Amino acid sequence: MSGQSRRALLLLFAGFSLWALAFVVFYALQALGCAYGWPQHRLILISAYLLAILAMAWLAWATPHWAGDKGVLPIAAKWANRAALAATILILLPVSFASACI
Amino acid sequence: MSAPLSPIALHKQLSRIWGTPPGWGRLSSVNHTILGKRFMLVALLFFAIGGLLAMLIRAQLATPHSAFIGPDIYNQLFTMHGTVMMFLFAIPMFEGLAIYLLPKILGARDMAFPRLTAYGFWCYVMGGSILIVAMLAGVAPNGGWFMYTPLSSRPYTPGINADVWLLGITFVEISAVTAAIEIVVSILKMRAPGMALARMPLFGWYMLITAGMMVVGFPPLILGSILLELERAFGLPFFDPERGGDPLLWQHLFWLFGHPEVYIIFLPAAGVLSTIIPVFAQRAILGYRALIAAIVAMGFLSFGLWVHHMFTVGIPHLALAFFSAASALVAVPTAIQIFAWIGTLASGRPRWDVPMLYVAGFFAVFVMGGLTGVMLAMVPFNTQAHDSYFVVAHLHYVLVGGFVFPMLAALYYWLPHITGRQSLYRLSVPAFWLILIGFNATFFFMHVTGLMGMPRRISTYPSNWGWDWLNLLSSVGSFILTMGFALVLADLVLQLRFGKPFRRDPWRAATLEWAMPTPPPHYAFAALPRIERRADQLRPAEIGPVLARGDGYLGFARDGQMETLGVDMVSGEVEHVIVLPHPTFLPLWTALATAAFFLALLFGQYWLAPLAAVVVVALFLCWPSRLGRTDDLGPVDIGRGETAPYDGEASGNICVLANRTALVTNGTLFASLLFGGLFLAVVAPN
Ligand code: HEM
Ligand SMILES: [Cu+2]
Repeated sequence: MSGQSRRALLLLFAGFSLWALAFVVFYALQALGCAYGWPQHRLILISAYLLAILAMAWLAWATPHWAGDKGVLPIAAKWANRAALAATILILLPVSFASACI
Repeated sequence: MSAPLSPIALHKQLSRIWGTPPGWGRLSSVNHTILGKRFMLVALLFFAIGGLLAMLIRAQLATPHSAFIGPDIYNQLFTMHGTVMMFLFAIPMFEGLAIYLLPKILGARDMAFPRLTAYGFWCYVMGGSILIVAMLAGVAPNGGWFMYTPLSSRPYTPGINADVWLLGITFVEISAVTAAIEIVVSILKMRAPGMALARMPLFGWYMLITAGMMVVGFPPLILGSILLELERAFGLPFFDPERGGDPLLWQHLFWLFGHPEVYIIFLPAAGVLSTIIPVFAQRAILGYRALIAAIVAMGFLSFGLWVHHMFTVGIPHLALAFFSAASALVAVPTAIQIFAWIGTLASGRPRWDVPMLYVAGFFAVFVMGGLTGVMLAMVPFNTQAHDSYFVVAHLHYVLVGGFVFPMLAALYYWLPHITGRQSLYRLSVPAFWLILIGFNATFFFMHVTGLMGMPRRISTYPSNWGWDWLNLLSSVGSFILTMGFALVLADLVLQLRFGKPFRRDPWRAATLEWAMPTPPPHYAFAALPRIERRADQLRPAEIGPVLARGDGYLGFARDGQMETLGVDMVSGEVEHVIVLPHPTFLPLWTALATAAFFLALLFGQYWLAPLAAVVVVALFLCWPSRLGRTDDLGPVDIGRGETAPYDGEASGNICVLANRTALVTNGTLFASLLFGGLFLAVVAPN
């Protein structure tokens, strides 16, 4: 039981941790690409975008839920992870059109 | 154990063990009730100082061409106002509240590391004093509370003004980081048995996320301060473009801390609202699980938008779009919380009382600040309003609406707990109206002056731009606001003096802190309860007398030890008995040595600094000397026929968790350093 509920606690933070990681990676990819003039800059950004969405979508669907008092953490985790997925899609969407370098 | 004691005898025994010595011995206190109160009291003092500075600012700005204080002093005043309010009032205020309240709401007898609490308190007092003394001596920092470089680099700010800020604030940050680590550990490991995380009152969740944010949010600022101080003291180039640094690095590091900081201040206030509103709505909070998800989302999202303070510095479109989207998105979890509160009130049977006035004030003011926030998150609008009084108006609507109003609600709600007396309410109502009207009069017009082009941080202005009347009205408003705060103060004194005592739980609340005598005894609970349901739906009036009889866990005094329970992080099942340290002067001495270190740096006595550092380390090494035991005892009696081992014999004890949390802090510090290095190598122009 304890192992299961410990996993629920981890899952509660997993989605947004992944979101934070994606955020940092994108910021770095954008800066590095501009600094070194990568030719496939936009392609790299968009592939990374799709990859991030895929990972987060998997997480959002894979989060299990149980009923009752035991279900509080898993259900909160599920919502948090779906919110993280939505946040990833919306916040990183500009990689597909905005100009990346000054 | 021997035959059960009468409640009175038990109270006397526990009081003797947990008490703080009188006289000078008071300075050795490590008790969370005492230190929580001291934190809040000192924070109030700094609030008064910050308010006084605001009055001076508004007096200067009341009329055009004012010769009241002049630009030099003015710069010091607004810098100190922002600094005092953010670092010396807001953060310590909620830390004090958390230290006072958390063990009581979660059902423990104290925080995890009482001496660290005391050390943090002394660091706060001493660091704050350095800033205030510097201000009285006329050498206060004067580069704004954000200390932008290269303005604050040596060539443009000679003298020690900037060093006072960098060193004083870093000193105060120590207390913030120690408190954060302690709060994380206490919430995760020190709840009443049976209080699974899934049953924890929302205040616990809010403080857990807040403390977690502090653990990773403060290192960037600490790193920035260290680097800037190195640059100023030894000429290392980090931020000065003349020498190959980049001023934008400072802005990144500062706002990487500075934006989450705003939410670090708001979340505890939201925790207060989530605790108070259900009590007055007379029903459980709506959407407990959705709120947990919203708090988590907010905690993370708020880290992804620091660049909205830097929209006008010239960064690529893509980055603008990222950060603009994140800024707008963070309004969603905020809105979820607001709807949960409104829904709770609407579906309950709301009861009127003074704390509710401030809750209503919060709704009105904070929502307005939130709206201007979303406006500012839009890059085109931001370009217009950046660094104008519009921003000052926005930030005060969120900070005062989102922190000061909820804290006033908290004051009226929990002061009876601290004093054991109920409010008289004669002055409370007029005080509220003065504050609400005064606040809006002061800051509403700043939206207008801002849109009319008045930049912030100017010490005077010409009279032909139409700003005169609006500024005068703002200044009048700020004096009305001050009268409101003065009335609140008078109200407090009257309550302390003439308020009528009450038995227990005056608000018919449903959380554990009311299940103890008021004012609270040093040991908090005579026995720890077993929690069988959501811990914000309890009946303190019924539980209280049972616990006072010693009916529960650890309802006895053993070997003169200060004992409380450690539980499993998630399930809340008993794991071990925690033995807490007795009062000691060690934290005070260690803080004094730390102060010597910072003062040595401040006055450029670089030979003394390493010496002081060695003393600090040596003193820290003395801390564990009288704790722990040399032999294993195996499981001991904890009451209710159960047993548990001492913490030294348990694997998942609080020290392990604390060390892990501290490693996260360190990790963030080094990650920030890595970011700084990469930034200078890749993004910076040369
Ligand atoms: C209580 C009445 C208050 C008044 C009348 C007031 C007034 C002011 C004024 C006029 C300024 C602009 C100074 C300038 O740029 O020239 C200012 C700045 C500031 N205030 Fe307040 N303030 C009050 C309360 C607070 C509180 C409670 C907080 C935080 C918890 C706060 C935080 C700040 C900060 C951070 C700044 C600096 C803004 C910046 O320039 O970046 N203030 N205040
Ligand atoms: Cu911000």
